[in-house]
Amino acid sequence: MATMTTTRTPANRSSTAGTIPCLICEKPNPTDVLACANCGAPMALIHEAVSQDRDPCIVTVVGDSNVGKTVYLGMLLDMLSKRADDFEAVPKGAYSVNLQHTVISYLASRQFPPKTAMEVDEWHWAYYQVSRGGHDAAIYDLVMPDMAGEALAAEVATPKTFTVIRALLEKSAGAVLLVDAALAAAGSTHPDFFALKLMSYLDGVLATKRGEKMPTPVAIVLSKADYCPECFDDPRGFARTNLNRLWNICETRFQHFEFFATSVVGGLAYGSDESENVVPYPLHIAPRGILEPFEWVLTKL
Amino acid sequence: MTFKLFSRKTASRQNGRSGVGRGRGSLPPGVEDFEPAPLEAPESDPLKRLFQQGRHNTILRERTKWAEQVDGKSIVEKTETVLEQRMAMVPAGSVSIVQTLSSDPGQPEEEIDVAPFLLDIHAVTNARFQHFVDAGGYDALEFWPEEIWPHLIELKDLTGQPAPRYWRHARHNVASADHPVVGVSWYEAQAYALWTGQRLPTEPEWQMAASWHIKSSTDVLRRFPWGDAMDNTRCNIWSSRIRQTVGVDSYPKGAAPNHVLQLVGNVWEWTDSEYTVADESGRPIVGEMPMHVVRGGAFDTYFESQAASDFRTGQIALARSYNTGFRCAMDLRDATWINNG
Repeated sequence: MATMTTTRTPANRSSTAGTIPCLICEKPNPTDVLACANCGAPMALIHEAVSQDRDPCIVTVVGDSNVGKTVYLGMLLDMLSKRADDFEAVPKGAYSVNLQHTVISYLASRQFPPKTAMEVDEWHWAYYQVSRGGHDAAIYDLVMPDMAGEALAAEVATPKTFTVIRALLEKSAGAVLLVDAALAAAGSTHPDFFALKLMSYLDGVLATKRGEKMPTPVAIVLSKADYCPECFDDPRGFARTNLNRLWNICETRFQHFEFFATSVVGGLAYGSDESENVVPYPLHIAPRGILEPFEWVLTKL
Repeated sequence: MTFKLFSRKTASRQNGRSGVGRGRGSLPPGVEDFEPAPLEAPESDPLKRLFQQGRHNTILRERTKWAEQVDGKSIVEKTETVLEQRMAMVPAGSVSIVQTLSSDPGQPEEEIDVAPFLLDIHAVTNARFQHFVDAGGYDALEFWPEEIWPHLIELKDLTGQPAPRYWRHARHNVASADHPVVGVSWYEAQAYALWTGQRLPTEPEWQMAASWHIKSSTDVLRRFPWGDAMDNTRCNIWSSRIRQTVGVDSYPKGAAPNHVLQLVGNVWEWTDSEYTVADESGRPIVGEMPMHVVRGGAFDTYFESQAASDFRTGQIALARSYNTGFRCAMDLRDATWINNG
């Protein structure tokens, strides 16, 4: 059985003189602090990595605000914890369970979870050991942070606004990019432009040599695909037609990319809150296409 | 009489949707490996054709007329036998329909009495729905409400033919002949039911069949047809790990007391009722288009509570989902084999 950890410059995390380097940004931190003073990553995650004596793989889930990153990640982790198909995930530390717990609690009560806060110290960080059974059995130590879409947008627009995002993406062994298929199908160009900006940013952060295609695998997930069933029939065809800018940058700059269609909600309705704001309600939950992008990324690590 | 509103362009017979180069979707099982069901030659005799098509209640509604023709009486009797085996009686009872999204205790409920009725033991299968497609059901306007006529042309399969969404060339996949038909909107379900001389169950009727809250001295209500606790060996939901539909006669241990199968799991089932619901403050919650109630959960239902007999949810009436099918119901007064017996 293979054990998969990061292939990107594993750091020596031995504690020296009462400090420990951050897993994400490498800056030293006192061992007794709760979060990295530089990037805000939780120290519990770093202590856990130290105890494992190996650095985990970082898989980032990126995308615009409201595209469904939190729901996708929470659903994925919960499915893995319940042994989905050949996969099984075990959380490393109670803090890792918070994301799936929050997402599942909200969905079970037919609500969407609140938006992820901009503040890094309020993000959920999931650190799991994921094992895959079958003939090509493997174990992966994975860190998957739930980043705020607004923070991603701010960093993409003005680099170094959120140093943690750049640090995370630099260390990413794989990425999952969520794109709002419902919005794209409705004719909006916003999902295409935002995805183009993100891919361009990723290209800048991760490209090894000028002119060479980026080797890091990127799964492009067409989220909310329950709105446009044709997404499930032919995700690539949908992207080529409705997300042509994204399609082109993928072909030009990325070695490993694939398109997937995903939905979590089986029925959606709308109400209003006390301020007359429209509130979407997930009527029932029918996850579809959640595992496939994740499985694909793992096979490319 | 059948009216023809649209002429549809015949799609290419080329079976050219290979999995290569399409990215990773999540098409329902059977779509990738597709073997079309063979065509069945229709009977020339009108009564025999109705029987062949499974339009049993249509036969019984004119039993006197049919009984007069040669062999007519025996076919009518055979029809009654088929319906007797295919449908089960749901006794009189009452149900509580929660009026809000939350089903927490204390939420407003509507108590509704349900008269006895007959319900299909199985969901309608692909094989049964094939008869409707072959008979030109999508062009027979008398079975479709007028508001859907402009949309009828959009109700097509993967090859552009009038049929459920995941069929090809208006044929179902042989391998899933006994699976519930999916990819049908509420309108298609209703048209099929009317065509066979039946109807869709109302929401209270469906809940009555699944909760079995009969009028008796004991006030027993089942969360699931077999009892109060979820048991994923008795139904096909996400935790059963099947990840696709199964044949309609699977899971016999999950049957209701009257042997009706798969009220929980496998596919959501359309009901005749419109979906109305409010939030906890009484503000209405609505879909982008009119919704109808679906009940019972499906093979991909993640939360077990959402497959329970009292869980209400809805789908847009035009939705043609991979996990939604239906079964038919009948009024007891139409059950000649009971009323005459």
